[in-house]
This record gives sequence, C-alpha cells and structure tokens, in this order.
Amino acid sequence: MNHATRVYEDILQTLPSLDNPTPMVRVNRLNPCPNFLLYAKLEWLNPFGSIKDRAAAYLIRDLEQHGGLSARRGIVEPTSGNTGISLAAMCAALGYRMRAVVPNRVPLEKKVLLRIAGAELDVVNDDVCPSPGMGEGSINLAKTYARAQADKYVMPNQYENEENVRAHYETTGPEIWRQTEGQLTHLFLSLGTCGTVTGCSRFLKERKPGVRVIAVQPSEGHDVPGLRNISQLDVSKLYDPSIIDEILEVDYELAYSRALDLARTEGLLAGPSSGLIFEGARRVIERDRVGVGVAIFPDNVFKYVSNMVKHAPQLTEGTQSR
Amino acid sequence: MSDYAHPEVLVTTDWVQANLGKSGVCLVEVDVDTQAYDAGHIPGAFGFNWQTQLQDQLTRDIISKEAFETLLSRAGISNGDTVVLYGDHSNWFAAYAFWLFKMYGHADVRLMNGGRAKWLSEKDRPLTAEKTTRPATRYRAAAPDATLRARVAEVLAASARRGAQLVDVRSPDEFSGKVIAPPGMTETAQRGGHIPGAKSVPWSSAVHPNGTFKSRADLEAIYLQGAGLEPKRETIAYCRIGERSSHTWFVLKYLLGLTSVRNYDGSWTEYGSMVGMPIER
Repeated sequence: MNHATRVYEDILQTLPSLDNPTPMVRVNRLNPCPNFLLYAKLEWLNPFGSIKDRAAAYLIRDLEQHGGLSARRGIVEPTSGNTGISLAAMCAALGYRMRAVVPNRVPLEKKVLLRIAGAELDVVNDDVCPSPGMGEGSINLAKTYARAQADKYVMPNQYENEENVRAHYETTGPEIWRQTEGQLTHLFLSLGTCGTVTGCSRFLKERKPGVRVIAVQPSEGHDVPGLRNISQLDVSKLYDPSIIDEILEVDYELAYSRALDLARTEGLLAGPSSGLIFEGARRVIERDRVGVGVAIFPDNVFKYVSNMVKHAPQLTEGTQSR
Repeated sequence: MSDYAHPEVLVTTDWVQANLGKSGVCLVEVDVDTQAYDAGHIPGAFGFNWQTQLQDQLTRDIISKEAFETLLSRAGISNGDTVVLYGDHSNWFAAYAFWLFKMYGHADVRLMNGGRAKWLSEKDRPLTAEKTTRPATRYRAAAPDATLRARVAEVLAASARRGAQLVDVRSPDEFSGKVIAPPGMTETAQRGGHIPGAKSVPWSSAVHPNGTFKSRADLEAIYLQGAGLEPKRETIAYCRIGERSSHTWFVLKYLLGLTSVRNYDGSWTEYGSMVGMPIER
C-alpha cells in the first residue's frame, strides 16, 4: 500500500484514513461571503462511492472480530442504499454474502447498484430512510432474517452500532482537523443514522470546543434518501443533541435545485443530500459572514438521475433524437 | 387485559411462548408485507397471504366457504383448535383474518397482542424460516355470518338515514380527502373524502406505540366519550380495503363490547369509486 503512488494490493486499502483523506475542495462562485472559506469534503471519492464506506468498513471489521461473520454467515442490513452498496462491495471483495433490505422509494439506481454489487435484495414499503421504531419496515424485516436465519445472516445494525460513530471519530473527524489545520469554525452535515455527526463532533469539539456543528435536515414528506426529518431524529440511538449546535430545516425541493447549482456553477457533481447541506451552509454563511467551514458532501449525483428528473423534469429536454 | 369485554380473544406474547408446540393451538401469521413470513416466523406458525389466500382471486370478495375450508384443512387446523393470529402493522391483516374466521364461525380464535413487532422486540423470542407442516384435516366452516359484515347498500342507507353510526378509521388526510390512500399503497379509489355522517377515529388511536391495545378505560374515553359512539346502536367501521377497519371492529366488538358492530370490507376503494355516491370532504 502506497498512498503516494496510489498503488494498492486490494480495493479495501483505498479506504480513507488520516494518511489517505478524501479531498476537500473550496466552494468559490456559490459562496456568498468572501471572508468565509467554505470547503466541500467530497465523500463520493471513497472507493465505493459514498461516506458510508467508512461505517461499513468498521462494521465489517468488528463483525469479523466479534460477530461471527464468515463465508457461510453473511450480512443482512436495512439501508436506504449507500450503506448497502458499501457493505455489498466489501463483502464481494472479502467473500461474504450480503442481503440488503431497502425502502421502496429508494432510487432505482441504488437498487440496481446493490444487485450489481452482488447483494440479495428485499424491497419493502417504508420511509425513505429506515427508522427504528417507526412501524415495521426494513429494519424489522432485517431483524427477522438475523434472528430466524442466524446461521446465514448477522445484522451490523448501523442505526445502533457504536462502530458507526467510531469510524467517524477515527477517520472523518481527524481528517477534517488536519485538512483545515485547526482553523475550522463551522461543520455542516446532515443526519440519518447520526454516526457521522456524533463521531465528527465528538472529535472536533474535543480539539476545539467552539466549533459550531450545524445539521441541515429536509422538510417533512421529503424524498432525499438517507436523511431524516427533524421529527424523526429521536428514533436514532446514535443521535446526541448535546453536540449539535444548530439544526436547520430546509425545503427538500432545494436539495435538488442546489445540487444542480453545484454541478453547473462549481463543477461539483453532488447528490441531493449535498445540495441540501450546501443550502444550509449558505444561509449560515450569510448570517455569520466570517469563518472556515467544511460541508460534508455524502455522495455524488450519479445514483439520483431518476430523482433529479422527477424534481427537475426539464433535464430530459433534448435527450431524444427528433 | 382482563377488563376487556371479551378478554379471552387476546393473548400475550408470553402466552404464545408458553404454548408453543402445544396440541390444539395453531398459530397463523398474516402480514401486510407478504415477504415477512418467509424471512422468519414464530416456530409452528402458518403464513396466510392476504392477497392470494384470503381474497377470492376472480371476484372482489372474501374467499368462499369452500375455499376457507380448503385453506384451513391444508394447514391442518381443526374446528376445535385455538387459532392465534398475529401479523405486522399492529395486526392489521391478522385482525382481518380474525374477522374472516368469525365470519365462518370458528369458535376459538384470538389475536396476539402487539403482533409480530412486539414478538421481535422481545429478546429471546424464537423465530424460524422453516416451513410449517401439519397433517391435513377436514375443516368444516359455517355459513358466513352476515351480521358481521356491512355491504355498500347498508352503508348508504345508514349514511342517508343516520341509522347505524359510521366510523372512518383511516388517517385524517384520507378522511379529509387530501389523499386517497396512504403513501405507497396501490389500492386506491376515484374520489377522496369520507362517507357523510362518518366519525373520524383513526385505527391507531386504539394502540400504544408498541402496537398493543390501550386499556378499556382509555378506549372508552376515545370511542365512547370522545367520538360519542353509543354502545347499543348499530355500528359500521370502514377504511380503505377493510383491514384497518377489522382492527377497529375488533376493538369495538371484543374489547369494548358494543352490541352490534360490522366491518364494511368494501370500504373506500368501493365507496369512493362508485358513481353517484354522496361524499363529504
């Protein structure tokens, strides 16, 4: 493994770490205040395409050490897509089976990607982000597999597993601290399982208690996969409101229009959750005027083409021959 | 649970655990999500698919007496068995199956309080993916009990004359006509709204967050004092396709002991699609 030459023995060696961080890229033309530096941390440059690679790697490592993961006993996990894709690809590389239980409203691209990565797939009628305790849905179906077919499946349970937090405490947080050389004043992200915020915030506030951690959440009825409306946050066991300074609610349609803006103005082909986070950051920057901010962009737009077309139908204009 | 009008129709998860494998006790799982049973179920339970096994596949109707007999005979259920039903979504379709069992005269049928989610939430409750088999029986059903079922003409008459009290158990948005069906549900209707004169009491009013039924005192406060239902008047519950209304039908008839309660299983998908029906929004 050599991060300087970027030559590796297997794909898992490309997972992020302090020595191999995901890039941070400055947002220029869309930034409303020149005295506020805003950097986008491009998590789609993880090996399997999203920030979830970090949690998935820690969950698998832990299961290998303590959870009885083996060639015969694979993984079952409820997921809105990204964790499933990360787990499935890693399982493929390591020789484990993977079963993903996904809500129906997850974009087709993600469901197909799960199949491409070799996952068995169950699609259930559920909220777009599986929520513990909110009805039956994908979490209970995955739990059923794990209990009824314990010889075949173990469930990492990203919604309750502290390894999800540890992944960000040990990688994302330290990367941001080093990449901003300790100058960080604002961290912008969004909440789903809450692993990212809890891990990053714990690490960064230990180094600098004044860092403001700002969560940007979609309005009710949203279809931004992986994220929760504010009313659903309490169901996340990894949710720790004491280390979040602000929670902003943003009209979810802006997730899609800001994603388009980022692509067309900054060349950042960011997905809708990144668009939402950027809109929250933009509002805070207009208010606070001065600072050094990092916005975590969880994944890129490639998996959301069908959602983008739904929210911006003009995108299909001129795509057919006349 | 002992305060209910008919406490014998409800069992706890502890009771089910204690009676696993007992002769004369037959478990049946009926879910909204028809893939859940195959993923795992309580050991010894049969799974009935509400779409293909409890509904006639040609006419829109409940299965016939003969089909019910065949279904239960193949599952090895005898007329004298204690049948315990459970399922997802706080027993929506388990309650529908309960209503069907009562329609065809099964004497001892019960619901597992809290359904499959409660079982799953409790540590050390066993689940298996093994297929259940029992020797076939010769089950004999009674003629359908028409006093448990409301047909559209009766519903229309009840609405027009303010005869029977109508209870709409759907969500407030379905009642108001803002939506025709809950998100993701495929069975729908031509129009939104509710039957004139119906009282809105969403099915979920009857259960705690863990899916178990509220106490009799709480249920009386909701349905009698709150919604103003009169226990001795004829009552008809409806929803969209008849499963959530079966849940409320169970509450009103067996937990509160209302004298005459019927389930309108045609519900809004029938009423809201027929030409010329009076609708309120």
